[in-house]
Amino acid sequence: MAINFQEVGFTYQAGTPFASEGLHDVNFKIPLQQFTALIGHTGSGKSTTLQLLDGLTIPTVGKVEVLNQTLQADTLIKTTNQLREHVGLVFQFPEAQLFEDTVLADVMFGPLNFGASKTEAKQRAQEALRLVDLSAEFESQSPFDLSGGQMRRVAIAGVLALEPELLILDEPTAGLDPKGQADLMALFARLQQERHLTVVVVTHQMEFVAQYAQHVVVFEQGTVVKEGTPAEIFADSAWLRERQLDVPMVRQFTDLLTQKGVALTPTLDLDQLTDQIVAKIQGGRDV
Amino acid sequence: MFNKILIGRFIPGHSLVHRLDARVKLIVSIAFIFVIFLATSWPSYLWASAFTLLVVMMTGLGLRVYLRGIRPLIYLMLFTTALQILFVTTGPIWWQWGWLKITEDGVVNGIAIFIRFLLIILISTVLTLTTAPLDLADAMEQLLQPLKKIGVPVAELALMLSIALRFIPTLLDEAEKIVNAQRARGVRFNEGNLLQRVKAFVPVLIPLFINAIKRAIELGDAMEARGYRGDVERTKYRQHHWQINDTVALLSFIIFSCALAWLRYIFG
Repeated sequence: MAINFQEVGFTYQAGTPFASEGLHDVNFKIPLQQFTALIGHTGSGKSTTLQLLDGLTIPTVGKVEVLNQTLQADTLIKTTNQLREHVGLVFQFPEAQLFEDTVLADVMFGPLNFGASKTEAKQRAQEALRLVDLSAEFESQSPFDLSGGQMRRVAIAGVLALEPELLILDEPTAGLDPKGQADLMALFARLQQERHLTVVVVTHQMEFVAQYAQHVVVFEQGTVVKEGTPAEIFADSAWLRERQLDVPMVRQFTDLLTQKGVALTPTLDLDQLTDQIVAKIQGGRDV
Repeated sequence: MFNKILIGRFIPGHSLVHRLDARVKLIVSIAFIFVIFLATSWPSYLWASAFTLLVVMMTGLGLRVYLRGIRPLIYLMLFTTALQILFVTTGPIWWQWGWLKITEDGVVNGIAIFIRFLLIILISTVLTLTTAPLDLADAMEQLLQPLKKIGVPVAELALMLSIALRFIPTLLDEAEKIVNAQRARGVRFNEGNLLQRVKAFVPVLIPLFINAIKRAIELGDAMEARGYRGDVERTKYRQHHWQINDTVALLSFIIFSCALAWLRYIFG
């Protein structure tokens, strides 16, 4: 069963003077075992959507179907705990959630909460730490002695150790150096491929979206305005620019060439673009 | 989870009470705590309640907001009342069980304490709901000004207060975020026995404190980088101007207090 949002709305602090609308009329699907990117402006409702996916909040109207569970206004928040066993949610700046004495203990925290035995939790934690490229020597260190990037990876390992079917990441690469960003995104894509996970990533980095995403959902002002494959979404660069969203470099380059009268087939792949340009140049020479 | 806490929260508005000078509101709120002790008879409680209710209505925020503000303190109020009822042992006995007895004086005292408590909370809530935290800190600084002469670091105290007030919402937001992050990792809050509930908060409190300390260091660095010094004469961006409304408000409160004193004189 795919992940499905039907007419979902969410109001923060409903019924108080501070009530404010987070989401309205949200309809979209997240295909299972694929890499989905949620894009949109800050405050467009992406993060709220992620919390609904994990059952941390319950929609005020409409329903969310996720992993055989339906969440709607009358769902008791207690019943969503079992959903969380299968969903891994990495928050923005997740290093703020570290608290244990050692890196290993912190990564084991999640599996232990969901009833794993100590040995099992330890084994899963070590595996998760290797995945994020942290060697055994880090295990006994205090997470607070690490660098920001390392702390981020510990926090992500803490969620990977839950071995979720659905992995949700809220701007996982924000504030990291370019290599760290690329490494992490490649890791998520690899996990998705190898373990057939459903991965949902909120990101502002369209290069990664173009490179890895199979499905893209565009948010604007608390609702979904467009969904489709990256090719479909990035086909209309003017529409994206109107919404102040970035357009991937390859697409920008193609646009500029097209404006100059060079006819190219739209693509998001750098190699394909290069091939096309090379073909054009050679074609020109032959004539 | 934390958004129900109303203590110290400011709701912007344009009511007469909102527009009063923060100093008036602060003086009245503090004076009210003392003046309320003049109330000893039912007519005087009625008078004090009427005054409080009038002020509450004048803020234009609706009673529900206030009821929500009182809710977290209701146990404290009931506990104090219960103590009064059980431990005041003079007057006619209504009910007795072993050494426990409930007497008429106890019940009367209990109800009186409950009303006093309620009125003080309401008036304090009016102050915090209608006054921007920074205005409140400014007002406090100005009112404490005379203490500077005897070496009290008034400016620093006021700065500490305004920083503390400023970061309450930030910390609450952050607490909520960490709570959610730990829930995502399988922590169950508000479930299980008392010990389990307390233990569940360890993974929230540790990161919260660490982040608060980090933030404090960063803020200190940023202030130093911009050459902040507390001990120099500084001017204020926001100037407070005493207006006719403020005089009227203060006079009304004085009249209210005198009437309360008069009621005490008449009814004893």
